[in-house]
Amino acid sequence: MEPEELTGLALEAAVGAGAGYADARWVREETEGLTVTDDRVDDLEAEESSGLGVRVLVDGRWGFAASAVLDPARARELAARAVEVARASAALPGDPVRLAPVDPAVATWSTPLGRDPFAVPLGERVGLLLAACDAQRSVPGLAHAKATVDLWRRRTVLWSTEGTRLDQTVTQTGAGIEAAAVGDGDLQQRSWPNSFRGQYQAGGWEVVEAADLVGNGPRVAAEAVQLLRAPPLPERVTTVILDGQQLALQVHESVGHPLELDRILGMEAAYAGTSFVGPEDLGRLRYGSPLMSVTADATTPGGLGTFAFDDEGVPAQRSPLVTDGLVAGFLTSRETAAGVGAGSCGAMRADGWGSMPLIRMTNVHLEPGQGRLDDLVADTPDGLLLSVNRSWSIDDRRVNFQFGVEAAWEINGGRLGRLYRNATYDGRTTEFWSSLDAVSGAESWVVWGVPNCGKGQPFQNARVGHGVAPARFHQVHVGVGR
Amino acid sequence: MTAFGSERLLEVAEAALGTGGADDVEALVYRQAGGLTRFASSRIHQSAWREDLWVRVRVAVDGNRVGTATVHAADADAVRRTARRAAEVAGTMPPDPGYPGMPGPAAYPEAGRHDEATAAADPATRAGLVAGVIRRLPAGIVAAGACETRELEIALANTRGVRAAGATTAASFSILADAGSGTGWAEGTEPALADLDVAALGERAARKAVDSREPRELAPGAYPVVLEPTAASVMVQWLGWLGFGAKAYDEGRSFLVGRLGQRVCSPLVTIVDDATAADTIAVGFDFEGVPKRRVTLIDEGVAASLVYDFRAATGHGVEPTGHGLPAPSAEGALPMHLAMLPGHIPQAELVAGLERGLLVTRFHYTNLVNLMDTTITGMTRDGTFWVEDGKVAGAVRNLRFTQSILEALSSVRAVGAETELAAEDGYGAARAPALAIDRFSFSSATTF
Repeated sequence: MEPEELTGLALEAAVGAGAGYADARWVREETEGLTVTDDRVDDLEAEESSGLGVRVLVDGRWGFAASAVLDPARARELAARAVEVARASAALPGDPVRLAPVDPAVATWSTPLGRDPFAVPLGERVGLLLAACDAQRSVPGLAHAKATVDLWRRRTVLWSTEGTRLDQTVTQTGAGIEAAAVGDGDLQQRSWPNSFRGQYQAGGWEVVEAADLVGNGPRVAAEAVQLLRAPPLPERVTTVILDGQQLALQVHESVGHPLELDRILGMEAAYAGTSFVGPEDLGRLRYGSPLMSVTADATTPGGLGTFAFDDEGVPAQRSPLVTDGLVAGFLTSRETAAGVGAGSCGAMRADGWGSMPLIRMTNVHLEPGQGRLDDLVADTPDGLLLSVNRSWSIDDRRVNFQFGVEAAWEINGGRLGRLYRNATYDGRTTEFWSSLDAVSGAESWVVWGVPNCGKGQPFQNARVGHGVAPARFHQVHVGVGR
Repeated sequence: MTAFGSERLLEVAEAALGTGGADDVEALVYRQAGGLTRFASSRIHQSAWREDLWVRVRVAVDGNRVGTATVHAADADAVRRTARRAAEVAGTMPPDPGYPGMPGPAAYPEAGRHDEATAAADPATRAGLVAGVIRRLPAGIVAAGACETRELEIALANTRGVRAAGATTAASFSILADAGSGTGWAEGTEPALADLDVAALGERAARKAVDSREPRELAPGAYPVVLEPTAASVMVQWLGWLGFGAKAYDEGRSFLVGRLGQRVCSPLVTIVDDATAADTIAVGFDFEGVPKRRVTLIDEGVAASLVYDFRAATGHGVEPTGHGLPAPSAEGALPMHLAMLPGHIPQAELVAGLERGLLVTRFHYTNLVNLMDTTITGMTRDGTFWVEDGKVAGAVRNLRFTQSILEALSSVRAVGAETELAAEDGYGAARAPALAIDRFSFSSATTF
């Protein structure tokens, strides 16, 4: 049965059962993940999932029901179940949900692809990853080499009772290598282009080719072996330069999440937490130095948060979150935007057919400054270059954070020096961003993928993007717990 | 939309087994259905019901070329199509000299509890429980949290004769009470909804919220602590991830490398993995169809055992312990039903025995800092109290800890008599008692 028939049946049944608003989202997701460790295929996951999720408003209360087991009768049952869920939610009083208006969208859209990654023969993928492991294993002293490729394609057919009729296909690709050195009771790892299975972008096989997993293998492996012999980073307060990979997660945790309006309004209090930012801080709160401008942009080519319409049918858009250090906007949904008298910025996304959409980061970028990473290092008399995330944690209002990175290089007189292992740093959000005094330029600006953003109950995983260029911060506490 | 039942699930699995040209075929069927009622600011704001069913087919061809494919569907045509795809994938894979074949038939232990009332709980039942708790909150307190009921059915069949099926249910209720300048937390998880005392959970969270008001600043440093079960369980969960699996151990990415058979923490600490315990949520076999066995991982402070999937067990010449993930797995075996055994001291007496230190309700956003020395970091939240002369002397602002788990467990002074099942992020729940620990390192503080 065609998805449009299922979504149509579900909407009809929802309205018949008393829904004032309904949307039906049919999703088909294909995923393929391949892991090669040393000289063998360690894991291969090929998965196909399709299902229907029906969301309704009944007397201003949300209800949602979803299933992977689909036929016309089940589509109608899901609508009835969603209405039942919504009616039960009236057990407690509260203001009815209102939705910010949006023009019904009728469109078809797909991620532009160079080479369709799913069409790349499996043998070619395996061969590349074996070669990437071989390149790492050429370095003496390496314990284990790993190489990965992940492919995701999600087709979403979204219909609503307001007339939205969307058919959108997003394709995302990621690849990476991880070199592990083991000895003397320690394990050190170096990754490329990023940790946690590499760099992910919207696009095709060209994302894998750009990573040059084979060419970078020997360097990455050599750095892992060097890390095993490197001293632990001592505790001190100093200047740090964050490379793009680490800075992307710093933006994610300490800027993106605190500016999600559902967190600000307390809707995520019990699990992910709230925010130190209040609705009244818009245009008033100094978040960071005047060099700090952050933008949410779902239109950026290659971002994991790039699409044409969100899961409420709101068009992808670019909107400021922080301008010259001042809070300039929030990530919003139709419901939360209506609460503050604004329009939705198009940030509602579900992690599949089985989940209600939540406010999620799209691509949250730190806008570039000037120069390259080399210039930034040359301009730093004393400090550290911190590279590639390996640990992250932040409190439930997004104030106190602590990160660990794979590698830290001392900067002395504008030149990179000694390598340190087990490097960590901590801080408080607005103090940290206020110490920002340089951001590299557009030539160093890369949209990094964060494919594992958790939020919501039931738990949902979102894939988001962050465009950043390396940046410098002062008076940072490093070497936590030493 | 009721349970499929063992017979029907096995029928779904068996549709895959006739794949032509295959040496081995295995089909794993996993169905989960349930509802969650979510509340915030004392109103129900998001509620959902969902049903998912997936079939993962593993096929071996040419002796040791292995492929897998997964589909979310229950009809026989889709399963057969997926099996053919797995066979195609297998044909393009390089030979795997370490492929151990697939397990054969076995007798499975009794595990898990399927409670019909929990499986059938409707949205009105969950919403009614939430509303009842909210209405009883003292004036000035608002609450957020969730009430969830779910049913899990798993079946596995393979061409070596394995036919395994099991079902279990789970119910959980969590509540964050907000009293303005202080918050409190309580949560509970049980196989049956009727066994959850949601009223008591609401009262506990509200009491903590009131007691948490006007927290004072406390300098970071090392303090004696009492960790309530929810906080203690996080350390047990992390240990489970950090190296009890034989594959991780073999690859040198385990904190147990060089430590098996040695004392790694206090003799008061015993940690087991036991899917057959009456108070856990489980079925009696793993994701390869191997019976689950109770394994003592840390025995009175001594690192005692690893857990093995079929591949690692075959390689080591030992019996698999029933801890396999869907194979092949880059992770290897994992303990999934962890429990730290209780002591004999009531939790309240642990606090009474604390001269000066901290009482911690809950941790937030913990993460690994260093695998080999088991250092993790995270925040306290929703009830962090200063204790003096055995009595709570007021709330303190939340602190960040950066602490080796093994070092903390080495300075355990006393173990509580009551245990709770908790999971920080909804996965990998572990049962733990409250712990009195002589030295716990807090590396920084936050502003609330």
